[in-house]
Amino acid sequence: MKTWAVTLDLLREARSRKWFLFLGGAITLGLLVLGLSLKLEVVDGALAASRFFGKSLDNPMMSADVALGAVFSVASQFIFYGGMLFGIFSCSDFAPKLLSPGRIEHLLALPVRRWELLAGTFLGVLILALAGAAYGSVGLTLIFGVKAGVWTVRPLLSAMLAVVGFIPVYAMMLTAAVFARSAALSSGVGGVVFALGVVTSYRDTLLPMFSPGLGRFSFNALTVLMPRLARLAELSSQLAGAKPVSATVALSLIGGCLAFGAGALMVGIWRFEERDF
Amino acid sequence: MDAIATQGLFKTYRRWLRRTGQAALDGVDLTVPQGSAFGLIGPNGAGKTTFIKVLLGIVRLDQGQVRVLGGAAEDPKVRARIGYLPERLHLPAAWKPAEFLHSVARMKGVRVTGPELSAVLERVGIAQAKDRAIGGYSKGMKQRLGLGAALLGKPELLILDEPTDGIDPLGRVEIRHILSEELQRGATLFLNSHLLSETERICDRIAILGGGKVLRQGTLQELRQVGVCWRARFQLDAGLALPVDGAADATAQATAQATVQMRTAALQAAGFVPAGDRHRIVVNDAAGLNAALDQARAAGALLTELVREEKALEDVLAEAMEAA
Repeated sequence: MKTWAVTLDLLREARSRKWFLFLGGAITLGLLVLGLSLKLEVVDGALAASRFFGKSLDNPMMSADVALGAVFSVASQFIFYGGMLFGIFSCSDFAPKLLSPGRIEHLLALPVRRWELLAGTFLGVLILALAGAAYGSVGLTLIFGVKAGVWTVRPLLSAMLAVVGFIPVYAMMLTAAVFARSAALSSGVGGVVFALGVVTSYRDTLLPMFSPGLGRFSFNALTVLMPRLARLAELSSQLAGAKPVSATVALSLIGGCLAFGAGALMVGIWRFEERDF
Repeated sequence: MDAIATQGLFKTYRRWLRRTGQAALDGVDLTVPQGSAFGLIGPNGAGKTTFIKVLLGIVRLDQGQVRVLGGAAEDPKVRARIGYLPERLHLPAAWKPAEFLHSVARMKGVRVTGPELSAVLERVGIAQAKDRAIGGYSKGMKQRLGLGAALLGKPELLILDEPTDGIDPLGRVEIRHILSEELQRGATLFLNSHLLSETERICDRIAILGGGKVLRQGTLQELRQVGVCWRARFQLDAGLALPVDGAADATAQATAQATVQMRTAALQAAGFVPAGDRHRIVVNDAAGLNAALDQARAAGALLTELVREEKALEDVLAEAMEAA
C-alpha cells in the first residue's frame, strides 16, 4: 500500500511551506512567552498567586487544577477554532497541487492506486493537524505541569477533538478539489462546512424560528447531515476544563464527524476514479 | 510477446452534460514488439498524448482493448514495470533532486541507496546540481531529472513523451546514448516526439497518428518505401533530325518542337513532374516505376539518369497526412 508514501511526500512538502513554519514558530513563541513570563505560586496544591510579566494577577486562592481548568478551557477553544481556520486556509492547496497537470499524470503512471493518492493526502493533512494540535496542547500541559504541578492529559484529548472536527471539513475540501482543481474553491467549501457545522450545532434552537414550509424544509435539509462542530468545540472545552462530559454525547458527536468525513471522502474517491487527467 | 497491443481504441473528450465532444482516438490498433524502439509521430492534436495516457490508465477508454506488458494498464504491478516521462513534468520546487527520486522510488517499491541515486543523477547529467532545489533548475535540467525518475528500477518499458524537449543539442546526444543503453539492456522504448530527426535516429519502428487514427505503421524502411520518389533525366529531342550548319529549316524545327512537346505531355501523363532540368515521380513499387518509364520511352524520351531520392521522415509524415 502506497498511501504512506503519498503521506510522507505531503509532509515533506509542508515542511518547506512558510505557512507551517509560521504556525510552528507562532506556537513555539506563544509557549515560550507563557513559560518565561508566567510565574505561579502553588502552596499545598492551591494557586496562591500568579504573576505575568512581573505583574500580579488578581485571582482568588483556589485549587490549582480548578484554576487551570478555565485556562485549559479557553486554550482548547483557541486551538479548536483557530486551528480549524488556519487548517482551512493553509491546507487548501495541497489537493489542487497534487492534481496539477504534469504532476498527477506522473503520479498516476506510478504503481499507486488512485484512492491511495487521495487517502495519502487526507492522512497527511490529518497528521499535520494532529501535530500542530498536539504540539500546542502538550507544550501547554508541560508548562503548567512544571509551574503548578498539575499534570493532565485533558488538554491533549481536547486538542484531538479539534482534529476530529477538522476531519469532515478537510474531507469536503479534498472532494471539492477533485471536482474542480482550485485552492480558492477548496478553502471556500471548507469555510462553508465549518460555518454550517457551527449553525447545525444550534439547529434545534434555530429550527422553530423558520415558519413551516420551504424555509424550514431547506434549513432542515441543509443541516440534517452536517457535523455539529460548535457542540464538539464545547465538548472539547469541557473536557479540557475537567467538567463532566457525557460519553454518549461525545461518541455521537465524534461518530457524526467521522461518518460525514468518510462519506465526503467516498464521493471524492468515486469522482477521482472516474476522472481523466 | 508485444510490449504494447491495442485494439480499436476510442476516446472522446466530453464536457459535462454534453453528448457530443472531441474525438481524440478513433479506432487505434497498434502493436509494439518487445525490445523495439517505437516512435509515435503526428501533428498537434493527433491524439498522441491521449494514446500514451490510455496506455498508463491516466485516461479512461470509451471502447477498445489495451494490453501493456501482457497485463492491464490499471494494474499497479504492470505500472511498476514502466518508466514514464510526461510531456510537462511538474516537479516540487522546494525539493532536492535526490528527494524527488527517492519519493518516486518509494512509490515504485524500489529500494535505492544514496550512492545509487547519485549514480542516476550522474547518468542523466545533473550531478553537479544535486544540492540545488529543483525550483532553480532550467527546463532541460528538469527534463533530465524526469528521465532519471523514469529510469529508476530498470523498467521493462520506457514511455517518453517529448524526452528531449528543452534539452540542448549536446544534451540530446547524451539522452540518445542513455536510450540506446536502455535498448541494449532489453527495455522497450516508446517515444513520442515532435522532433522527427530524433525519432528517426532512435526508433526502428514508427507509427503515424492523425485525427485519432493510425495512418501508417512499420519499420522506418517500410514507411519510406511507401510512395518512393525517383528523380529522372530524359533527353526529349533524342532521334530528331535537327537543322544542320545553322541552315534554317522551318518545317523540321516545327516538327522537332511538336515532338518535344508531345514527349513532355507523355511524361506528365506517365506521372513525371518537371523539377528543374529533371523530372520527379512518386511510385509505390518497382513495377509502377517500370510502367512509367516504359510509357515515357514509348513516346520517344531517352532516359539518361535515374536517381532514387531517400525520403525523410517528415516527407513520410506529410504524405500520410495528405493522404488522410
